[in-house]
Amino acid sequence: MTTARDKPMTTMTKHLVRWILTLACLLAASPVASAHPHVWVTMQGELVYAPDGSITGIRFAWTFDDMFSAFATQGIETKKPGQFTRVDLDPLAKENVSSLKEFDYFTYAKVAGKKVDLKDPTDYYLDYNAKDTVLTLHFTLPFKTPVKAKELNIEIYDPEYFVDFSFKDMKDPITMVGAPAACKLTVARPKDLSVAPGQQLSEAFFNQLSASDNWGAQFANKIAVKCP
Amino acid sequence: MMIVAGGRTSGPFAGLALPAAAILLIAVLAGTTFASHAFAQGNPFGGPRSGTAPVPVGGVVGWIFAKQAEFYRQFSGLIRASKADGTAAWSLMGLSFLYGIFHAAGPGHGKAVISSYLVANEETWVRGVVLSFLSALMQAIVAIFVVGIAAVLLHASAATMNGAVNWIETVSYLLIIVVGLRLLWVKGRALLAAFRDLGRPAAAVGAAVTPAEAIHEAAHSDHGHDHGHHHDHHDHAPVVAATAVAAAATCCDGHDHDHSHHHHHDHDHASAWGHAHAPEPEELAGPGGWRRGLSAIVAVGLRPCSGAILVLVFALAQGLFWVGAASTFVMGLGTFITVAMIASLAVGARSWAARVAGARSGYGMLAMRGIETGAAVVIIAFGALLLGGYIVNERMVGF
Repeated sequence: MTTARDKPMTTMTKHLVRWILTLACLLAASPVASAHPHVWVTMQGELVYAPDGSITGIRFAWTFDDMFSAFATQGIETKKPGQFTRVDLDPLAKENVSSLKEFDYFTYAKVAGKKVDLKDPTDYYLDYNAKDTVLTLHFTLPFKTPVKAKELNIEIYDPEYFVDFSFKDMKDPITMVGAPAACKLTVARPKDLSVAPGQQLSEAFFNQLSASDNWGAQFANKIAVKCP
Repeated sequence: MMIVAGGRTSGPFAGLALPAAAILLIAVLAGTTFASHAFAQGNPFGGPRSGTAPVPVGGVVGWIFAKQAEFYRQFSGLIRASKADGTAAWSLMGLSFLYGIFHAAGPGHGKAVISSYLVANEETWVRGVVLSFLSALMQAIVAIFVVGIAAVLLHASAATMNGAVNWIETVSYLLIIVVGLRLLWVKGRALLAAFRDLGRPAAAVGAAVTPAEAIHEAAHSDHGHDHGHHHDHHDHAPVVAATAVAAAATCCDGHDHDHSHHHHHDHDHASAWGHAHAPEPEELAGPGGWRRGLSAIVAVGLRPCSGAILVLVFALAQGLFWVGAASTFVMGLGTFITVAMIASLAVGARSWAARVAGARSGYGMLAMRGIETGAAVVIIAFGALLLGGYIVNERMVGF
């Protein structure tokens, strides 16, 4: 009995097979174990200062993308369809906040290399913008102990990069409320994978990506607050 | 490359070919499963972070990743556009297809489990493609089912849907472990039998006996221990490779045995020259054989793609559930193609290994059994790690 393997493979078939196998190898070898972001969050933040100049916490407004907002608001009863009030969204807000705790609220604060502990959020609620069909979560993230230091570093990111964070307004991403005048704020976003539809990313960008220890960290939003 | 049964392959690298094939197989499987990244990531539930050094992967991987994100971002816009303009739906289908292809390169979608299964169970390429297709199809159906039942019928909340998917996920991972365990049981025993047979002088004679010959022998003798002499079976070699299965467990198919044999669906390859209970080559491609792959299909296909669920819910919110459903099926088509490519790679590697193994006496058989057993272990490990949260599958959207 002879099988197909006995028939001599034409050159073209050989090339095709080789091409397919190469592609398969590439795909097989792709160690991108973290799937791409499924949620996009645009943030606005406020550093909250105490009268003595120490930072007590951060006040956030996280706006979710429309797909996630539609998913999250699925099944919520409303008086008017498509209009969600704060009261309607209250259970969801509670759920969000408690789920976020597991992920450390995606906020990593450090002073001189030492981690700053966070407390459970306060003053939280969800707002729904019916025009853009997006949800915004407002909450205050207090530090366990107010921070008074020369340099405070805050990074906001999802280590698995399931959630993409970016600032709503790069010109004024974070405000400092009640801060001593001499304090300076710098904001950086090393890599931006927040692709708008149709946007192309440069070659150099791809070459920088590394499937490293902390995949999501390379997309982190970094805030540095320096006070003399 | 002609392989002479009982002899060696032509070529200077014959001695290295078998270990190389084994390494290639393992590498392919390892590449799709235990990416250093997967382990390195901290478990979202507070597990350990490994200290591996960053591996700069370069353009291709990043490009695939970025493409996925790019495509995905366009879903909501296109779905909205479809509401107003029907032709946008076609773009949506095109996008879904592309997304499916790129997305399957990421975690999930059963690449590793199916590839390992194909290696462990000596499946043909066609079977591999069919398995890939059916599991991709099932994933699409499950996604539509979950959203259809939960969102449309029950008006369930996102939390409920998340809970349902988590539950389905757990079942899927358990099934993967079960599939792996079953394979380990069968292949492990075959491996042990191959070890035993190595020690038997009679068995060592006439190494790569061809199936046709073996069956021929079996007709005459009661246990084909003496099919030693046919060293000139030339062009059965490709048959050996192609029906690697049969090569694995040639010989006697069940008469005159004083062992009780249970003809499981996953054939019992005890040993090649001993008292083997080899399924007939036809049996493998036959109807009974389809059920064998079913467990793997269900195990892999049960877990729906998170992206698909999001797209479906969004489409539903826009009043376009059926468009979302169509998109999900097309996505499934895309993932099928990628998974099938990788599955083909696995089958190809295995055939190559089998071809090489077929040329070696005794040890070849042992090596093949070893590879199969290894693949079964990979499946179990994969399922266990997924279950434990140490490998990040797609995280169901949620907080």
